[in-house]
Amino acid sequence: MLKTLGFTDAVSIPDGESRLLYQALVDDDEIDVYLPAREGEGIAIAAGLWVGGRKPVIVLQNTGLMEAGDALRGCGIGPSIPLLLLVGWRGYPGAMSGALPIDSAYPYTEPLLDAWGLAHRRLMSDEDLDVIAEMAQVAETSSKPAAVVYGYGFTP
Amino acid sequence: MSMERLDVLKALADKRSDEIVVTTMTATLQWPLVSSHPLDFDFLAFGMGHAADFGLGLALARPERKVIVLKGDGGLLMSLGSLVTLGRYAPPNLLVLLLENRSYEMTGGQTFAPEVDFPALARGAGLKNVERIDDLSRFETALPRLLTEAGPHFVVLPVVNSASLPPVRHTDHTTRVTRLREALDVP
Repeated sequence: MLKTLGFTDAVSIPDGESRLLYQALVDDDEIDVYLPAREGEGIAIAAGLWVGGRKPVIVLQNTGLMEAGDALRGCGIGPSIPLLLLVGWRGYPGAMSGALPIDSAYPYTEPLLDAWGLAHRRLMSDEDLDVIAEMAQVAETSSKPAAVVYGYGFTP
Repeated sequence: MSMERLDVLKALADKRSDEIVVTTMTATLQWPLVSSHPLDFDFLAFGMGHAADFGLGLALARPERKVIVLKGDGGLLMSLGSLVTLGRYAPPNLLVLLLENRSYEMTGGQTFAPEVDFPALARGAGLKNVERIDDLSRFETALPRLLTEAGPHFVVLPVVNSASLPPVRHTDHTTRVTRLREALDVP
């Protein structure tokens, strides 16, 4: 789907849910993959790729999204760069099963995106995959980042 | 030994032709005194410490064109891990000029650890072409090589500034991006 949508690059620090997606992207010849040291750095790299004419997607965990707040503000929202974020919902499976959450990242994820005024949709099963195309389109038409929050293990 | 930052910027502006120049923090304030070019990009307030990361993305996207990043050592400390990413992906068209003044000049000159060895950090992160140039004539001599030779290059330039700084220009971020894309013929 990412190739069909025209993405040329993926900037990704994989998490447990996206590790298979990461490997599939690495194994694919059509999308270039970059693994930064931290997520804020990744968002700045993606912004540079986009300004240079590429179309990057960013794959990061919600914890990384929190680390990357200033970069997202400065390199995405402020300059109107339509970055698609695929955000791993750390803590979601535990919350759904009633277990003690691993940390506080789960409940902050969607309110944080709301606070930035960013559109977002949930991807929770194979039937939801179209939300990736929807949010990619929203990013383009709104000229700002948009997010897909996944509590789902990609099995390409 | 240190160089006057404005002299360093003038030397670069004199030799620069069609390279993209990304500036941030105090370099952003002084670069317009010596250069007005469609491929100048003011990264100020785009994300603390991320100018070289943005430059890396640009360099990867535009392999045919040199990308020069002028950033400070304080900014590098805010994204130190990015050195490893630069070393790993190592686009040959990237030149990072680290303006080393060992302080946060933009906010009043607060000093940080004086013994930080930035060339050693860069080499340790995997960057191959690392050098420290502390003399203006050597910098002027090195520039034609740095602008044409395959890199990436990471050059540490110890600088001081005795000139008064112009005020921050509050320009629209979207316009900055749009102008650079237009200059690069990105549709």
